[in-house]
Amino acid sequence: MAFLPQERLVPLLTLLSDRMEVVAPILVEGVPVFASWSGQPLALKDNPLMPPQEFFLPQREVLFRYIQDCGSYSFEEAAGKARLIFGIRPCDLRALAVLDRIFGSDPMDQSYFDKRRSTVLVALNCNEPGENCFCDHLGFGPTCSEAVDLQLTEIDKGYLVESGSPAGILILKEHPEFFLETSQSHLLEKCEMLGQAREAMNSCIARSLPGIKEAIKKADWNALGRTCLNCGSCTFVCPVCHCFTIQDLGVPDGERMRCRDTCLLSGFSRMAGGANPRISQGDRMQNWYLDKFEYIPQRTGLLGCVGCGRCSRVCLAEMDRWSLEVKR
Amino acid sequence: MEKVHTTCIYCGCGCGLLLHVEDGRVVGASPSPLHPMSLGRLCIKGWLAGEFVDHPDRLRYPLIRRGDRLSRVTWEEALSLTAASLRAIAQELGPNSLGVLTSAKGTNEENYLLMKLARAGLKTNNVDHVARLCHAPTVAGLSYAFGSGAMTNPIASLAQATAILVVGSNTTEQHPLVASYILEARGKGARLVVADPRKTQLAGLADLRLAPRPGTDIAWINALLNVIIQENLIDQEFIDARTEGFDAVRQTVLGSTPEAAERISGIPAHDLAEAARIFGSAERAAVVYAAGITQHTTGTDNVQALANLVLATGNIGREGTGLYPLREHQNVQGACDMGALPDLYCGYQKVAQARQKFEQAWQTKLPDEPGLTALEMLALAEDGRLKGLFIVGENPMMSYPDSSQIKKALEALEFLVVCDIFPTETSELADVVLPAASFAEKEGTFTSTERRIQRIRRAVKAPGEARAEWEIISDLLHRMGVPADYASAAEIMEEIASLTPQYGGVHYDRLGACGLQWPCPSRDHPGTGILHAEKFSIGRARFRAVEHREPVEAADDEYPLILTTGRSLYHSHTGTMTRRTSLLDREVPLPAVEINPEDARLLGIRNGQPVMVETRRGSISLEARVTEDTPKGSIFVPFHFSEAPANVLTSQALDPVSKIPEFKVSAARIRRS
Repeated sequence: MAFLPQERLVPLLTLLSDRMEVVAPILVEGVPVFASWSGQPLALKDNPLMPPQEFFLPQREVLFRYIQDCGSYSFEEAAGKARLIFGIRPCDLRALAVLDRIFGSDPMDQSYFDKRRSTVLVALNCNEPGENCFCDHLGFGPTCSEAVDLQLTEIDKGYLVESGSPAGILILKEHPEFFLETSQSHLLEKCEMLGQAREAMNSCIARSLPGIKEAIKKADWNALGRTCLNCGSCTFVCPVCHCFTIQDLGVPDGERMRCRDTCLLSGFSRMAGGANPRISQGDRMQNWYLDKFEYIPQRTGLLGCVGCGRCSRVCLAEMDRWSLEVKR
Repeated sequence: MEKVHTTCIYCGCGCGLLLHVEDGRVVGASPSPLHPMSLGRLCIKGWLAGEFVDHPDRLRYPLIRRGDRLSRVTWEEALSLTAASLRAIAQELGPNSLGVLTSAKGTNEENYLLMKLARAGLKTNNVDHVARLCHAPTVAGLSYAFGSGAMTNPIASLAQATAILVVGSNTTEQHPLVASYILEARGKGARLVVADPRKTQLAGLADLRLAPRPGTDIAWINALLNVIIQENLIDQEFIDARTEGFDAVRQTVLGSTPEAAERISGIPAHDLAEAARIFGSAERAAVVYAAGITQHTTGTDNVQALANLVLATGNIGREGTGLYPLREHQNVQGACDMGALPDLYCGYQKVAQARQKFEQAWQTKLPDEPGLTALEMLALAEDGRLKGLFIVGENPMMSYPDSSQIKKALEALEFLVVCDIFPTETSELADVVLPAASFAEKEGTFTSTERRIQRIRRAVKAPGEARAEWEIISDLLHRMGVPADYASAAEIMEEIASLTPQYGGVHYDRLGACGLQWPCPSRDHPGTGILHAEKFSIGRARFRAVEHREPVEAADDEYPLILTTGRSLYHSHTGTMTRRTSLLDREVPLPAVEINPEDARLLGIRNGQPVMVETRRGSISLEARVTEDTPKGSIFVPFHFSEAPANVLTSQALDPVSKIPEFKVSAARIRRS
């Protein structure tokens, strides 16, 4: 545990960026996004719309290149990149914990874990939850509990820094010049800040896990499916959604691509012969919710929803994603 | 990983998006939460907009036809051949034996330069683009009625409407962001009336659905006006103060009773009366329309009929009201604004009136003879009177009506240059093929259907030797003896701003994530959301009486069905980009003709069965999809698929005013194959 004075954050990141690519929330034309950081002003107020999951599961990635020579193929894989992600939030970290269990189950996904192992995660706890956030209602957050190398909590004049892994401890040990001793009051301050954050979340959103499960049970999926505009946005912004498809681009040489997919498209579940076990959009929506709240918990022991609220922000059909009520 | 803020390449909504770039490649896309219209949302095509950019099929090098093959050459060879061939044709047969088809997928800067190339370089007004095939009647009709052929309000204004009439627009599939605002209004209690022969998703959610027989829109729209007048739901104060010509319209619609309209359109009279009451009594009513209104031989009159409806009820110039033509391409509005039209310079300045101004600005003599529209050019090509054609980012072989006729015309050309990002059915016929940079590889601006001028930004390098079209055209302008020393797209915009009153205040440094809505006449002007709020640019808005005319083709014994063509949510136009996007192509991989179960039963056609669709122009083979969504007596074919190109079937019957072909009505027959 240590205290990082506010003004030392950027110099620390600058130093670390000599050794690895630092990814942090920055502004692009005013829009907060996770992107490579090279000294731009940090945008730490809001969690970006796109979670940093794409650094482990890119929307499109080359798994390998295939090269044909005299009838036989050879394969080239790109080397992984050392990376530090700064500013990941507890919800997205929790989602990574879910993904670790999914991609870590047999057979382990090599491409995912190559990136996972070469990435240092520096999290930022949420003092000011967004208007759609409800992680606390799902039993965790707005502070980190797992999968983190370092976690920062903004307190008066700086950050309380807590390590969660050997990689995190190493950063503290290798760069002692940046950090100050902590005191009991820093910890108390953290608890107070996060307590307030929890209260803020509870006061504006009345959402609970039993409530959501009840809504899923009662929902009129056919009616909801009729208004869904098939944009797939809820799956594309979800930090837990991880479905992909494989595509070979190029003949005779080319690339095997892994591309993000979405279960809300009919082609996702359509069989080669044309039959589709999830025939209507309502079926597909229901499956998405059941996956989050039933199937993933069964497989991993963790909920498939982390309460980030992103799906409510992007729904093109203006649905209430949590009450699942049909407006009219 | 870098992220670059840009604008979506697909429909006219013009959503803001970020391209994700890693190691010089586009690896993803995501919505821009700050965009004033899309607000951090995208449709499925937008989410996948970056995928085609590094597809291996991209055109990488200039090609020249040698015998029956296209061979790789240098830019110098390709451009000097282009310039020399075009010049030779002009010398032999005069400049009007040349033509230019620009691209609604290109930027404003590129459309402006192409318009300049045609007029100042080639000395012809023969310049046109795909707006001719989708919204030419809007430009003609609304310019006459309101003085401006553009959407009257921002898209977001729809959320404030208390009644919305959607006509000939499959909004949830073709303009999903517009549909989102319609659903928002509906969620807040707005009444929704959807008129479409097909039962679209939005029709399924409507308070009232009207299913007219294709090609009968004026009849039933006049009937709405008839009821509105009879029941005194008109806004007399507005009509008196701000319009002219209402009496003639009143006279004309007197006979258009709902009962008379029912006989023509097949819509029950009581539904028409109810629709009229919903629209007429709403505090804020809006009309949304798309190609279902325009792609008729009565296209311009159809648009006027809607304008009459809006004017008579005073639903214009206020939040939540207005007329919303939905443009199909992301920059079809901009291509029109830039004067890629045979009779207009940029800013809708008439060739006949503004020629001197442009001669002065460009320091050259300009042609005064009126130019030809797209299909007129191709008709002359077939006759051998138009010999050279420069096509940029268009695929007439797939998108223009009556493909076999189009093919004859293109083959009859002495010299055809095609500039595109992928090989297309049209580039296969070209003498020179020029590889262009895609939207992710260049700078420029697009103007969305809500008149929002927005930047696209270079995210990655173009593949091979492909170049931005504005650079290619500048080079050609040089070779034609017209100075064109543009160092950047921003510089071209400076020239556009100096010559286009509506764009007068548009400069790159002002275009952040939000863009600017024209008219924006000066640097300190904030742009204009709602048009016609205080006054119409022509003084008073004009009513014009329009009457029903039957489509050119009617169903008969030989061809008993009416064919309409259109699009799918998952594809854009001729599929050049979307069919190279894995999830989109997987979602709708094959063409299918939609047919009503009753018709299918009579013809012994089952779902999924291979069938042949025929019209007087030709035939295509594809699968049948039996669905209640298509009305009895009609069939529907999307035009994205080269395996079964729908435009083999369509006709070149034109609207006399706007010269748009009648894509939406062809007599057809269908049989098992």
